[in-house]
Amino acid sequence: MSLRSQLLKGILDGCVLSVIEKEPAYGYELSKKLQQAGLKDVSEGTIYPVLLRLQKNGYIRGEMQPSASGPNRKYYFLTEAGMKVLNEIAKEWEQIVIPANSLLKRGNSND
Amino acid sequence: MIEAKQLIEMNNHRRTELTPENEKYYTDFLLYIRLHLFLSEQQSEEILMEILDHLIEGQKEGKTAAEIFGNNPKRFADELIEQLPRENRKNLAKFFSEIALNLLGYFLLIRGVIIFGASFFKDVNITVYPVKTSIIVFLIVGFSLFGVRYIFKIINHSLFKEKNSSLSDSVKAGLYGAVSMGIVIAAGYFLPGIGPSMDFAWYTSLISGAVIWGVSRILKNV
Repeated sequence: MSLRSQLLKGILDGCVLSVIEKEPAYGYELSKKLQQAGLKDVSEGTIYPVLLRLQKNGYIRGEMQPSASGPNRKYYFLTEAGMKVLNEIAKEWEQIVIPANSLLKRGNSND
Repeated sequence: MIEAKQLIEMNNHRRTELTPENEKYYTDFLLYIRLHLFLSEQQSEEILMEILDHLIEGQKEGKTAAEIFGNNPKRFADELIEQLPRENRKNLAKFFSEIALNLLGYFLLIRGVIIFGASFFKDVNITVYPVKTSIIVFLIVGFSLFGVRYIFKIINHSLFKEKNSSLSDSVKAGLYGAVSMGIVIAAGYFLPGIGPSMDFAWYTSLISGAVIWGVSRILKNV
């Protein structure tokens, strides 16, 4: 896998985990929240392979629950392992984003 | 936990809410995933249901399946399949033995009924040669397994296409069925009765068939 896609994968994992950390969510809700957060370019379907992978790794668990609006939905909850991984991702992110930001930031004059 | 069987029923029901265009997209996607027999049925059905729910929600906002899940449903499905856990061996063994016993049960039941019926009109030869029978059973099992693979391949090829070539697909599958059936019947007719032999009366056939069929039903429902 290329560094670029690996980086994106890690970021998306972190974003999904942190949305679930705030409140358990089901697939559709989760994709809405990511889009509301500004991740407009993430196609809605993209989260499902991510959810399956996070589930397989034991970072989240899914549970079918009745929802307010009728049908049962599979809600995702953060596990303890997921919490740990989320903290790690957040820490790594801070280590990358601050130096990367100062390197990559283009001033308006350069646009 | 909602079981796979219930999820399938719910899925059948909810799928009717889709527009024709979205239904085509989703149905191909669903078939493609379900054709992967070695994936965990429970996990597959859960994700299929999630995708369906998402699609129905999106549809309410006027989105199409392609807008939500991308223009390449096969690639999307492959990405999911890569992450789905395999079915455990116990369930797979149960699944295949259930089918095998079911077929064997029907075979013995039908044999019993035919011999019983025919015996009113003529003397029926009820001698069975285990060696010859084993060869025929081997042929049937082989043709069935290969046939399942062949038909799955045909369906796989027919998915995610603009145009369905259902007629030529049906002809191919039918031809396969006819040829393999012909070979099995010819084997029964032409193979000589070699080795030991035994009598297998209609009632023995009927009773053993019923028992085996019953076992397959029990397996199905546990």
